[in-house]
Amino acid sequence: MTSNEKGGSIPNGEEASGSGSNVEHRIIALARSSTKGISDKDIQTEIPDLRPDQRASIINKLLAQGYFDLFNQGGTLLYKLKDPSRVQKVKGADNEEKIVYSIIEEAGNKGIWIRDIRYKSNLMPTQLNKILKILENKKLIKAVKSVSASKKKVYMLYNLEPDRSVTGGAWYCDQDFEAEFVDVLNQQCYRYLQQLQENTKDCKGGPIAARNISYASSKDVWKYISELGISRVQLSVEDMETILDTLLYDGKVERSISTDGTHLYRAIESLLPPPGIVRIPCGVCPSQSCHGMKEKCHNLERDSNLRLRVLRSGTLPLSYRDHLAKGLELSFHTGDSVIEYCP
Amino acid sequence: MSTQFGKLCSLILLEHFGEIVQKVGNDLYKCQAKPLSLIVNSTKLPLQKVKQALRVMVKYGFVTFAPGPVPNRAVYTLLPEKVILILRYPRYLLLVKTQYGDEAEMLVEEILRQGQDTASRVIIRAVSRLKESLKEEKVCLVTLRDKFATLVNKQFLMRCPSPGEETGVPVLTIKETLLYLPPDLNLKALSNIEEGKSGDAGDEGIYWRVNLDRFHQDFRDQIMVSAISRRLDDNAGELLRHLLKQMYLRTEAWAATSNPIPFTELREAVRKQSSHPLLGQYVDQYLKIMEEDSSGFISKVGDSSGGQYSINMKTAFIQLTWTTIENIVMERFGSKAARIFRLVRAKKFVEQEQIQQVAMIPAKEAKLLTYRLLEENFIQMQELRKSLSNNVPNKTFFLFHIDLNQVARMVLEMCYKALFNAMTRREHERSENRRMIEKQQRIESITLNMREQGATPEQLAEIEEMLTPPEQALIDKVRTMINRLSEAELQLDETMFILQLYLIYQL
Repeated sequence: MTSNEKGGSIPNGEEASGSGSNVEHRIIALARSSTKGISDKDIQTEIPDLRPDQRASIINKLLAQGYFDLFNQGGTLLYKLKDPSRVQKVKGADNEEKIVYSIIEEAGNKGIWIRDIRYKSNLMPTQLNKILKILENKKLIKAVKSVSASKKKVYMLYNLEPDRSVTGGAWYCDQDFEAEFVDVLNQQCYRYLQQLQENTKDCKGGPIAARNISYASSKDVWKYISELGISRVQLSVEDMETILDTLLYDGKVERSISTDGTHLYRAIESLLPPPGIVRIPCGVCPSQSCHGMKEKCHNLERDSNLRLRVLRSGTLPLSYRDHLAKGLELSFHTGDSVIEYCP
Repeated sequence: MSTQFGKLCSLILLEHFGEIVQKVGNDLYKCQAKPLSLIVNSTKLPLQKVKQALRVMVKYGFVTFAPGPVPNRAVYTLLPEKVILILRYPRYLLLVKTQYGDEAEMLVEEILRQGQDTASRVIIRAVSRLKESLKEEKVCLVTLRDKFATLVNKQFLMRCPSPGEETGVPVLTIKETLLYLPPDLNLKALSNIEEGKSGDAGDEGIYWRVNLDRFHQDFRDQIMVSAISRRLDDNAGELLRHLLKQMYLRTEAWAATSNPIPFTELREAVRKQSSHPLLGQYVDQYLKIMEEDSSGFISKVGDSSGGQYSINMKTAFIQLTWTTIENIVMERFGSKAARIFRLVRAKKFVEQEQIQQVAMIPAKEAKLLTYRLLEENFIQMQELRKSLSNNVPNKTFFLFHIDLNQVARMVLEMCYKALFNAMTRREHERSENRRMIEKQQRIESITLNMREQGATPEQLAEIEEMLTPPEQALIDKVRTMINRLSEAELQLDETMFILQLYLIYQL
């Protein structure tokens, strides 16, 4: 609807006199010309022959019809024209509905919880429920389930796209976190960085050049993933960074900041192989009450477990084994001592 | 000094020295320092036995003594951390063998066996053992003496302090200059003794022991070099080795941070080697990469003479400890938990809500893992209240964080326990199958004798058949199990070594 039509529609719905509607027109036109809103003084300069009591009654009428918002700025009252589309929507609704609507409108695309609406509007719960239902039926507002609390519904205007904090962004599908999707992306990103790392082996330009090859910016990774086409939703570069950060916390990549402030990532190797303690059953055994493996140790009974761990860790070099055998035979004798000064 | 640690020490003493020494060791472990009479009292052992046990432990350096409150009565203190080093002996020997050859290994082994001994006696014993193992008639005494001197020069061996002139409880002292002074041996007399005649080698009363700290220093360097090689490449590892060499020229070996090493000297050192041609070309670049790496092993401290670099031992071991613990969390709780653990480490203090958001783990799983880590004390929780009054409804923040020191101590404790378990199990396996193992050994020795007497293959086969196939299978199984457990003990020791070094550097 254009503003012209709207302007024209005003007098039709009025019972006011011809001159009164004329003045209304002029005031609305004045308000439309000023984005900051108009004050009493502005109206007075525009229409000098208007009496204060007339002006007050006309303004009150327009306010009641919801054409204006009233602001108090530095002690003077400002009238500001409301967004025409909004005006249209609440038309024909009663005051309570309008208030509830405006509260929901204020919340924007973050939505607002029903209890907060109740506190703000001071309405009874039953009445509020009814109003919300009416507004929902009119398709003015909608209820959206939040990901942070699955039972919590938030209300927002019908035409708004819910905020990421409500839907959870690309990682959520109907309030469910898509763990598998994240895992797949995590693996793919790592593979990409690993490939880069492997490319450095043929690099002849010295270690710094090799290292620089292995770096990839989040944008590079984003491009690679987009081209792979494994994601059915459009991912942003920020989404990619959150995935890369999980790799960072997996200890598989390293992050540094380039000169222009973007993040660079590269695959790295852990400083140490898996430590010795996890290669024996006790290192991963959840039992806290175990008193030695003499009696019964389920981990050892299941011999395969131990074998698996030793195999994975790789076997010791041969010479080490020799020493091991020697170490065990290395016996000490409690024979005569050479120290004579021990009392 | 925990119960678990005590149990481990006690088991080691039992395994290597028998029951009496174990009892005395246990008794000493429980208290700070004790005079002889009190030990006799509490262990209910005969005085003579206790004396002997103490003598043995003093000899191996497990017990020290000092004048006590009563004049002329010594009090004894156990050094449990020295006791568990027995488990590391095979590694010491391996190190000597790879660096200085078989003869040097034999010398060190002989000293380790005795705890402390004179150079001449060690050499004589090594000679006879070398003859046995190599089946050679003549073993060169000069080589052995020279090896001994090298080991002393490299500070792997050191002189034992000796008692002074004072009366009462002796105080063991040694002059700094004498500590690493090679022995002056009379070779003629030495060869006389070796042939069974009497002679005076000229080193009576000068006892030697193994300088374990020197070995630890080498282990430490090895760990750092291999870590850098893993993270960057072999060239970088080689560079770090050179850096460490340069460090020893100007810094005390166990300092937390080395004194600055000038770039020019390092480049000279690298140029002399030829095994890594690429390294010589890119010394500066490798230094830059190592400096910028997140491990933080080295840092640049100045620009004079082409750049000054120092090695951060303390930082390095903090990093290595983090890595170790992260790996343990990874194996124990899975990679998702490791992600949470690293996240908490990176954020220092973090709320549950933030953990699941940043780690991208479903809320329920994230909570489960976080609280499991909390339950097993890998992460700690800090409560933060807006006000301390109880009657006001207020919001409380629960922040997760990691106290590395505490976690490292806990993991060390886990290691002691695992070690204890593995040793117990190994002994159990051995004693369960004692009869079988003895039988097999008997058969082996018979076969050996028969072969020497020139028995026919049929006869030999007959003897070997005395061991039935199921018995043979059982023995093989037990043997693999025992080997595997012993292997595990050594590997555990590597973990313990890193954690112990970390704690030492923290002090």
